[in-house]
Amino acid sequence: MSAPAADIIRAEKIDTFYGPSHILRGLDFRVGRSETVSLLGRNGMGKTTLLRSLMGLTPPKRGKIFIDGRDMTGQRAGLIARAGLGFVPEGRGIFPNLSVEENLLFAERAGRNGRRDWTKDGVYEIFPRLHERRTNWGNQLSGGEQQMLTIGRALLSNPEVVLIDEATEGLAPKVRDSIWETLRLIAARGVAIVVVDKNLDDLVQLCDRHVILAKGEVAFEGTSAQLRDDPGLVKRLLGV
Amino acid sequence: MSLVLIQLLNGLQYGLLIFLAASGLTLVFGILGVINLSHGSFYMLGAYLALSLTGLTGDVFLALALGIPIAFLFGMAIEWLFIRHLYNRDHLQQVLLTFALILVFNEIQQSVWGSHPLSIPAPSYLSASIKITEGLSYPVYRLALMLICLALALLMVFVIQKTRVGRMIRAAESNREMVEALGFDARILFRLVFAAGVALAATAGILAAPVESAYPGIGDRVLIISFVVVVIGGIGSIRGAFVGSLLIGLADAFGKVFVPQFSAIIIYALMALVLVMRPAGLFGRA
Amino acid sequence: MLARPSLPVIVFFVALLALFAALPFVGGPYAIKFATRLLVLAIFVVSLDLLIGITGLVSFGHAAFFGVGAYAAYFVSPDYEAGNLALVLAAGIALGALAALVVGSFAMLTRGFYFIMVTLAAGQMLYSLFHDTDIARGSDGAYVNVKPNLTLAGKTLLDFESSLQFYFFTLAALIAVYFLLFVLARSPFGRALQGIRVNETRMSALGYHAYRYKLAAFVVAGAVAGLAGALFACIDGFVTPELLSWHQSGLAIMMVVLGGAGTLFGPILGAFAYIALEDLLKTTSLVGEFVSSHWRIGTGAVLVVAVLLSPDGLAGFFKLFGARAAPAPTPPHADPHAAVDRPARAARALSTEGLSRNFGALAAVSDVTIRFAPNLVHGIIGPNGAGKTTFTNLLSGAIPPSSGHVRIDGADVTGWPAHRIAHVGLGRSYQRTNIFGAFTVAENCALAAQARNGSMLRLTDRRYAAKEAATVAHALAVAGLADRAHVVASKMSNGEQRQLEIAMLIASDADLLLLDEPLAGMGPEETSRVVALLRDLAKDHTIVLIEHDMDAVFAAADTLTVLVQGKLLAHGAPDDIRRNEAVLEAYLGHHADKSGAHA
Repeated sequence: MSAPAADIIRAEKIDTFYGPSHILRGLDFRVGRSETVSLLGRNGMGKTTLLRSLMGLTPPKRGKIFIDGRDMTGQRAGLIARAGLGFVPEGRGIFPNLSVEENLLFAERAGRNGRRDWTKDGVYEIFPRLHERRTNWGNQLSGGEQQMLTIGRALLSNPEVVLIDEATEGLAPKVRDSIWETLRLIAARGVAIVVVDKNLDDLVQLCDRHVILAKGEVAFEGTSAQLRDDPGLVKRLLGV
Repeated sequence: MSLVLIQLLNGLQYGLLIFLAASGLTLVFGILGVINLSHGSFYMLGAYLALSLTGLTGDVFLALALGIPIAFLFGMAIEWLFIRHLYNRDHLQQVLLTFALILVFNEIQQSVWGSHPLSIPAPSYLSASIKITEGLSYPVYRLALMLICLALALLMVFVIQKTRVGRMIRAAESNREMVEALGFDARILFRLVFAAGVALAATAGILAAPVESAYPGIGDRVLIISFVVVVIGGIGSIRGAFVGSLLIGLADAFGKVFVPQFSAIIIYALMALVLVMRPAGLFGRA
Repeated sequence: MLARPSLPVIVFFVALLALFAALPFVGGPYAIKFATRLLVLAIFVVSLDLLIGITGLVSFGHAAFFGVGAYAAYFVSPDYEAGNLALVLAAGIALGALAALVVGSFAMLTRGFYFIMVTLAAGQMLYSLFHDTDIARGSDGAYVNVKPNLTLAGKTLLDFESSLQFYFFTLAALIAVYFLLFVLARSPFGRALQGIRVNETRMSALGYHAYRYKLAAFVVAGAVAGLAGALFACIDGFVTPELLSWHQSGLAIMMVVLGGAGTLFGPILGAFAYIALEDLLKTTSLVGEFVSSHWRIGTGAVLVVAVLLSPDGLAGFFKLFGARAAPAPTPPHADPHAAVDRPARAARALSTEGLSRNFGALAAVSDVTIRFAPNLVHGIIGPNGAGKTTFTNLLSGAIPPSSGHVRIDGADVTGWPAHRIAHVGLGRSYQRTNIFGAFTVAENCALAAQARNGSMLRLTDRRYAAKEAATVAHALAVAGLADRAHVVASKMSNGEQRQLEIAMLIASDADLLLLDEPLAGMGPEETSRVVALLRDLAKDHTIVLIEHDMDAVFAAADTLTVLVQGKLLAHGAPDDIRRNEAVLEAYLGHHADKSGAHA
């Protein structure tokens, strides 16, 4: 196998549309190996669209997307997923007519170089509640459990990078904390993460780099320190 | 009394046969989202295939063993040639293309087998009748037929609930996009599902051949009944197809004996009733 | 919208008409009979185009009305003498219409796949009625032994026994039917049907009661099909249940699509072409033994190719001659540069009380009580998943609430369907642009303007034409689209389409405007243009808008309402909201302090 590319994801000048609506405008985006990146911005600014474009679900009309060094522009989502992307969408995407365990194991496979860092037992250790509920139907879980299931499912495909849309939305504070804990664990094991969320404090602790979108373009890109030093920027781009 | 019992058995037998055909249709429409008017043609081709294969092998069950793979491969070919172009098209185009396929299939049937009704006898080891009550005997083959259909139904449930393919089918039914996002190619799945639908319809046709003669219009009848069952049972629901088929089978059997002039009308009225009370069907998702 | 046929089409059909007129003098009795059948088939197929091409209803049971009309002729014809021609035709029309009314009142409750299924089943039900029972001699078929005639004061004016008279009558009938349906399709009623085809949801939101329009179209089509059936019965004098079978319905759909759905003249060509094709494929001397004995495969194959390749059918061929259809009429033009008079409007308030909506266990909107004061711009904001769109749907009647009330000026409109709420002055725009893409800008606004005037059965423009023209011109001028009036909507930029949404609301005379993300996907200049437009409109409209563009919302709005997880978090002046701690937390997460700096 060739030497791994520096960036696991590299998107160059992508333009994505929903019908006539121009959502992403000439956007550049990259994620390094084992890097944690936060994707911020108010609603409608293009965060979900960007994740979907990277996954190949809403392909860009213009621009290029490289996964692990390979040009995957315009490829089907199935191929992009197998190139090493795990996806935790906003709606969780849990299959209601499959059991929890069936959901969890749905995409189980070996990762790059045949690695199996994540196994069923390993995931159950991180999420014991899922083990308890493994025979329940997919739609019989609480909000937090659903999020755990979706993250676990993505992990079992042994991805190089996990894209998470709205990591802790609608969850109680304690559950949120456990999700952040889990993400720290994942990052520590070398999986890259792109996470969309609005809890700035937690993101600042977790992520190496932050990207703020405004109207389909990158309005800010920098480290946690840079973000902390500019509260006016935060208020302007994220607040009311 | 014995008349009622006979019609009960007939109704169940007819319903179970219809179930095989209707389950294929509900899967195809529920997962692929395609209205396939040529579904009845697959039943018809199965029935005629039974004639030829039984002539070749001498036994309808051997014909079945040969016929199912043939039908499956045929289904994959049809999906690849025509059906896959319809996935993103509107209903009108789907209706038209599959209707045109009916014309083609009808013609193939006419050229190969002609327009006279043809039939084959039940296999000799199943040709007897067994006594159910005093003065009432019922053909063994029909009972065997029911058992086979039930077995196939259980097999279907097993595949859908316990196998990997079944999980993918269930998943694709609720969220096709997520299945793709998890690394699978829905296209292959669709081809398999369509082929399975064709095989199910053909199986029903083959099994039915010793019970009713094959004639050119047989596909139409099966198609419409299958659609009625799918509407009653709910699109995409195997359970709904099962309940719907039995309901229709019994209604048809009793209707034909007690109110022969209105038996067809009763069935459509049933469908209308269900549509008014539960627009998504008995087991469908709203 | 349905346009006047282009010149090449007109020339073609005039030539065709001349051919048909000359036929009896060059062809024998068989040719006349064959041509009569063609003409009757054409009448039937044109009626189906009213459903499929104009209204967008794919009916798979239309042949049943044709068959019913044929049987009607049988029912009113005496056994051994000529029936009354007028009665026969009237019976066909009436019975066809009646059957369509019964089937349609039920079928119009369904859409898409279910509609196709219901019409198919209804057709089969009627087929069974004639085939299985003996109300008309079952599958043996029935005979009209003597063809009807029209006798007045002892003189026979018209006798169908004469194949020549019958032929020319049918030709005249086809021409009459075409013109009738053409005029109907271009009337306000017909324009509404076309709007329903392109975007039924939008039509309801504009105030059209779509069910009634569709049912009316269905009945008209059934009546015409019944007429064709009655005429058919007089050709050979023989009627069978097979006339009602779904195969006939399917073939009819083929012909409509083959000829070009929606043009009304196309399906006539489609019918002729299909019959010609069938005949051709059956003629051994032309195509050889193999093809002629398997002609159905040929037909099927041609249809498959036609469907896959050519969406416009035969009618599309005329475009090759450089023909472009004449632009459709919008209500007569008013001067777009004339001074825009703003009619005085009532100041309307929109309020809710304890409004809630659950989806299963999920509480999308919880107990929201709020009043949107008149003639102000009210912004609704909130983080993702806050229930804003659900709230808008509750206000506009798109979905009913689980509990609570919606009031317009104190009048309770809770649970009213969308088209009813539109009629009391509430108009909405959608998150994803929801216009009539296939129509021009002016046509879009004309549909909006038409919604409030007169009854559904409006067949002429006369009474309201001037008023509607002025409304459209005014709406376009206010929305800044006056010079784009004849551009097809789908070809405009996203920003212009959003402007069109607003123009339609103005044209529909709405006092209360509900705008769901009107600025989505717009660049900076478009945004400021629309914001200026909204502030201008607020002078005499009440505007409620959902938006995420904070700069725009702060520039445009007089009040802000913050929804979080379906609940009302805060409501007040923008500056107060900006300083509200709870709101800040909702947007920035916990631990955010007042200045927005973080520990």
